Amino acid sequence: MQRNDPSAASRPLSALALTAPVAMGYIPLGAVFGFLFVQAGIDWWLAILASIVVFAGAAQYMMIPMIAGGLSIGTIALATLIVNLRHVFYGLSLLQRMPQGRLQRWYVIFGLTDETYSLLTTLPPDSDRRQMVWLALLNHGWWVLGSAIGALVGARTQLALAGLDFALVALFAVLAVEQWRTRTSSAPLLAGVLAYGVAWALAVQHALLLSIAICVAVGAFWQSAPATAGTEGGPGDR
Amino acid sequence: MIDKGYVIGVIAAMGLVTFALRALPFVAAHWLESHPLVQRLGRFLPLAIMTLLLLHSALGAAREDPRGPWPEVVAVALVLVLQGWRGNALLSILTGTGVYVLMRNY
Repeated sequence: MQRNDPSAASRPLSALALTAPVAMGYIPLGAVFGFLFVQAGIDWWLAILASIVVFAGAAQYMMIPMIAGGLSIGTIALATLIVNLRHVFYGLSLLQRMPQGRLQRWYVIFGLTDETYSLLTTLPPDSDRRQMVWLALLNHGWWVLGSAIGALVGARTQLALAGLDFALVALFAVLAVEQWRTRTSSAPLLAGVLAYGVAWALAVQHALLLSIAICVAVGAFWQSAPATAGTEGGPGDR
Repeated sequence: MIDKGYVIGVIAAMGLVTFALRALPFVAAHWLESHPLVQRLGRFLPLAIMTLLLLHSALGAAREDPRGPWPEVVAVALVLVLQGWRGNALLSILTGTGVYVLMRNY
């Protein structure tokens, strides 16, 4: 830290202000995670470890019923791959804007959640790269703090309320709306619904995996709107 | 109590997978950007997969609910409308989950 650089001193403070809206979401949602995690019969400190090591909201919500069901680590890893696949496409727009230091760079990459990504994309292009590290660090901290609060409360409470795990469904609904907002086409939504219907009819037990395979196949051949409209004309058109 | 070693294994695997996905564009940007297939999938898959995960998790909840599927339909619709209208994830998730818990228990 350069002691005489006023911007260096104000950096953590302005990062704190920038992450305040994220904190408003991460602390309560982290607390719900920690609470449900402990209520599923897992040690409280493992909830905190999960939030430190994994740092991915939807995947962490999803891991609770999977652990409770005793699914294999490979199955859970595959499910994590599916839920977090969208993150592959986040980094591409940030390639030129990462901090230079090796450790700082990898830490920001590690912390690229939906919210950190949104925050980083709103920074002006010429802003201080170290600011990015502060943003990632604070968001990570809010998530861990929320998880710790939830886990400690959950460890002291017995609450028999059915349906609290609906938070995962609600989180997927929120993420779907956000993906819908930035869509270039409605085709993926339609494909998802149809693929799930087909997969459900063919094999209920493997509906999710099968429908994802269908969507990958459809997405691979999917062209922008004019091209698909052209293929709809049957041979009788002539 | 669930076995600690198993949970630590799950956490390690999930951490590795998540980090690998986030790091991929930074180690293979050239490859990702030079393949039209990857570009197409990048525009297509995120919304398609979120739609699938929403359907799958909502149907899973409905199957465990003796009074399903109406509480699930109502709560999901509520979350979608709230998120589309206000765009506040916390408000949408807590309201949707709260209303759902009320419907399931009372």
